[in-house]
Amino acid sequence: MKEKKTHEEGLRIGVFICDCGSNIAGHLDCAAVTEYASTLPGVVYAKENLYTCSEAGIGEIQKGIKEHNLNRVVVASCSPRTHQPLFQNSCAAAHLNPYLFEMVNIRDQCSWVHMGAREDATEKAKDLVRMGVSKAAFLEPQQDIEASLIPRVLVIGAGVAGLSATESLANMGLDVVLVEKEAQVGGLLRQIHRLSPHGEKAADRIAEMAASVQSKPNVTLYLSSRVEDIGGYIGNFDVAIRPEGGDAVHEKVGCLVVATGAIPLKPEGLYGYDGKSVITQMELEERLRAGDMPGERVVMIQCVGARSPEREFCARICCQTAVKNARFIKQENPNAHVYILYRDMQMYGAENEQMLWDARGEGVRFDVYSPDRPPKVEEGKVSFYRPLTGEVVEIPCDVVVLSTPLLPREDALALSQLLRVPVDQNGFFLEAHAKLRPLDFATDGIFVCGSARYPANVQEAVSQGLGASSRIATILFKDKLITSAIVAEIDPETCVGCMGCMEMCPYEAITYLPEKNICQVNTVLCKGCGCCAATCPSQSARLKGFKPEQLMAQIRAI
Amino acid sequence: MLDVGRHPNIELMAYSEVEQVAGDCGDFKVTVRRKARYVEEDRCTGCGACKEKCPTVLPDLFNEGLGTRKAIYSWFAQGIPSTHTIDPAHCRQLNGKKCGICQKVCQANAVNFDQKDRIVELNVGAIVVATGYKVFDPSRIPEYQYREIPNVITAIEFERLLSASGPTSGHLHRPADLLAEREIEELERQVSKSQKALDKFEEKYGQSSAAFYEAYQKGEYAGDEDRAKWAEKYVAHQAVLEPYEALKKEAEGFDVAKRLAFIQCVGSRDFRFYPFCSGFCCMHSIKEAIIANEHERETTSVIFGMDIRAVGKGFEEYKIRGGNQSGISYIRGRVAEITEGPHHNPVVTYEDTRERKVISRDFDLVILATACAPSDGVDRLAGTLGIELNRFGFFKTGTSQPMDTTRPGIFVCGCAHGPMDIPESVAQASGAAARAAQVVTDSQMRQAS
Amino acid sequence: MERKDVLVIGGGIAGIQASLDLAEMGIHVYLLESLPSIGGKMAQLDKTFPTNDCAI
Repeated sequence: MKEKKTHEEGLRIGVFICDCGSNIAGHLDCAAVTEYASTLPGVVYAKENLYTCSEAGIGEIQKGIKEHNLNRVVVASCSPRTHQPLFQNSCAAAHLNPYLFEMVNIRDQCSWVHMGAREDATEKAKDLVRMGVSKAAFLEPQQDIEASLIPRVLVIGAGVAGLSATESLANMGLDVVLVEKEAQVGGLLRQIHRLSPHGEKAADRIAEMAASVQSKPNVTLYLSSRVEDIGGYIGNFDVAIRPEGGDAVHEKVGCLVVATGAIPLKPEGLYGYDGKSVITQMELEERLRAGDMPGERVVMIQCVGARSPEREFCARICCQTAVKNARFIKQENPNAHVYILYRDMQMYGAENEQMLWDARGEGVRFDVYSPDRPPKVEEGKVSFYRPLTGEVVEIPCDVVVLSTPLLPREDALALSQLLRVPVDQNGFFLEAHAKLRPLDFATDGIFVCGSARYPANVQEAVSQGLGASSRIATILFKDKLITSAIVAEIDPETCVGCMGCMEMCPYEAITYLPEKNICQVNTVLCKGCGCCAATCPSQSARLKGFKPEQLMAQIRAI
Repeated sequence: MLDVGRHPNIELMAYSEVEQVAGDCGDFKVTVRRKARYVEEDRCTGCGACKEKCPTVLPDLFNEGLGTRKAIYSWFAQGIPSTHTIDPAHCRQLNGKKCGICQKVCQANAVNFDQKDRIVELNVGAIVVATGYKVFDPSRIPEYQYREIPNVITAIEFERLLSASGPTSGHLHRPADLLAEREIEELERQVSKSQKALDKFEEKYGQSSAAFYEAYQKGEYAGDEDRAKWAEKYVAHQAVLEPYEALKKEAEGFDVAKRLAFIQCVGSRDFRFYPFCSGFCCMHSIKEAIIANEHERETTSVIFGMDIRAVGKGFEEYKIRGGNQSGISYIRGRVAEITEGPHHNPVVTYEDTRERKVISRDFDLVILATACAPSDGVDRLAGTLGIELNRFGFFKTGTSQPMDTTRPGIFVCGCAHGPMDIPESVAQASGAAARAAQVVTDSQMRQAS
Repeated sequence: MERKDVLVIGGGIAGIQASLDLAEMGIHVYLLESLPSIGGKMAQLDKTFPTNDCAI
């Protein structure tokens, strides 16, 4: 049965007032509000229900639509966040376009906040209903937006996080294009000697992950290649991949994963760093891999180039790295003297803390230093002020190992601009929400995992890679992408191309068309927030369902 | 939470337990007990009319016992599902006494005292364990006197006091003061009752009770039984009036807690209880101190810890801001003991290791950052699922696949895996979903690798 | 596509996230929780770090 026609038939608004048991009816006169609603212009039917969200209530709405030929429905009840989709679906089932439905909140915004003021609450509820009915008169039917989805994923970076995401995506039946700028996979792990807490060789771990990924027929691996250009949007990205010294290859994918990792800081100018007797943890890893023990007396200094005014953040994995390496040195040579000078030992969680105790038991020495009186590195010794005893201590040593933070790669910013995703004040990729969406970007269809997001150890990088693959599966397992019809549109006749809307858009959903000097909304990416419509000086940008005439009708109705 | 309740692909079974698991990866048969709420889920709309009338008042566990609830209750106001539940241990009707008021007032006809537990059989391809953690009970540390000193509380109790929807609407009233207020209310009731009795005598004899009693003590009215009763009532009244007035006077000086002490690693990094680090408590305490300072600008906080672990993204900056803007100072030292000083102020004795001094200092409120311990019943659940626990008591996982338990097809995420904060729990949860999806998607109906 | 269901035990933030991901993938999920409602420990928190927004 075709959807009802609307404008041609004249307004026929149905209003349903909900008692919500005693939640609303207990604090205002619902019968009076219903009676009042029936007198409003355009309203042909008004009904009071005990619980509109119940089966009976839904039945009343659908019966009302049918029997009274309604072409607009207003429900005055609770918050749209509870049942708006339910009511919209009920309208759709009764062949009324779901966007011809308007919800008025007379519970959270009325009965619940005006308990004990029954008369005033009733008057306010009438006002709210009047506003809702006025707006409903201007509602237009809308269609949800559909987009196709290519079941293929681009993973940028074949380190631990990228390999983990690739393996998981492939196992779930999706095609993966894995791009790595080096000649081999493995990322930073190729420079690492052994992993904590179990001491396995990093090389073995890479081999295991690489073998798994490379054996899958639905994984295409591009080594020594970079992503040169990306266009499109969720479901339909166009990617240009440039192998070293070769022609660009074009791939079409549905989603992207940023797994480009990070690099450790080389602390030039700090603590006499020279790469020979004063080295970084990464340089120590390389020596250990080569079987080159650093000497009998080792002093490690934590927080070098981090947790300072210039670089405030804590890079979280340097303490566990230092402890891991300290233990390894002691295990290989029980006579070795290993000292770790620290500010806080960031051995968070269960396994890490256990490593700390084990290290102490094995004879690794730990000493706290004050950031305002940092250790001094001199020829053959390190001296520092020990606050716990109030004295300056000298430690003779053969090598000093500086624990430096992982930093975003130099090309991270360029990639962020290519993808049009943000980075934070430290240069790490910025996720959509620090807590609830740690692996998503605000731009749909793009995800991040591993140290590109923030320094992560191997376990965390693997978990995040798996997590990103799950987030992608929630999109690409569907046949098509359906997004709400409540999106913005820009009138090409009146738009002057000032790009004010683009600056406001949090979702990168607006693009500028230079040949026409206008802006255009990508309705798939648009989330209907309305920032562009509020900004546009010529009212060319308008938000469907919240157009100026609809909002003005509501305001005039008060 | 709302998304879960509404999603067509999610069948939510709250107030339920796993009884038995048989089968294998790809084909598990799970027996679930859906406990009787004595309220029909498909009828209850969560309106709350029932609990307004219920006569039985009980401590509210969601508010850590700081508030009250009824025998018919919802776990918390915004809970999903909003279905109410009757506590069978305390409901009068269910314990043989006459009541049933909730049933009478329920307009949706949802109360059913005859409801029984239901056993449901599920057939699933994979299982994700996300059972979280339990809060360490600090009464296990006798020197902190958690049970003895009312103004020594746990972090989660503090959350409820800070919360606008909590038992004190977000005002940091000290527990000792709250207890005093309740006592005042009780004494007031008694005073008013005994005063009424005295009023009757005063009217009868046309004399004030005080004047009468003076005369009575001098020996007048000897042998007068009625007046003897009056004298008795007068003495009883004074016995309640004095403490009532004293307590009321004391209460005039009550203020919200402004000088806070947070003690880290309570039960964590402790050989006696849990050797591990609980991961989020340093940040948790900093956050609570910042929020408390937002509520009341004069609030200062001291955080006592060994290492202050602010390691996540944005955390170190948050910690520094807390120190600069929210009156937080950080002291490196473990607290040796807590005693109670005047005005129920807890006194903290500690060593400031950077200053090399042992100090005793009093505060308004002490908050214990309690350990994130494995949930109650993990042993039983591990046994039911056929998976192992690690040496810390959390579910054991593999090295190459951090969310895989020791049994194929069963995965773990969040604090059930080990102490972790919200972003890590969320990332892990997605990871576990990916692992579970691999098992059940049709091309992969084989053992998860 | 014939797909088996998944059981998620625990309705705290981790269980909720896992359930939503799986459900969005088109997989039927049973979400089990021992308390009368979901939300877990996070529902008891006032605000959460580092953004200080509401836990609920």
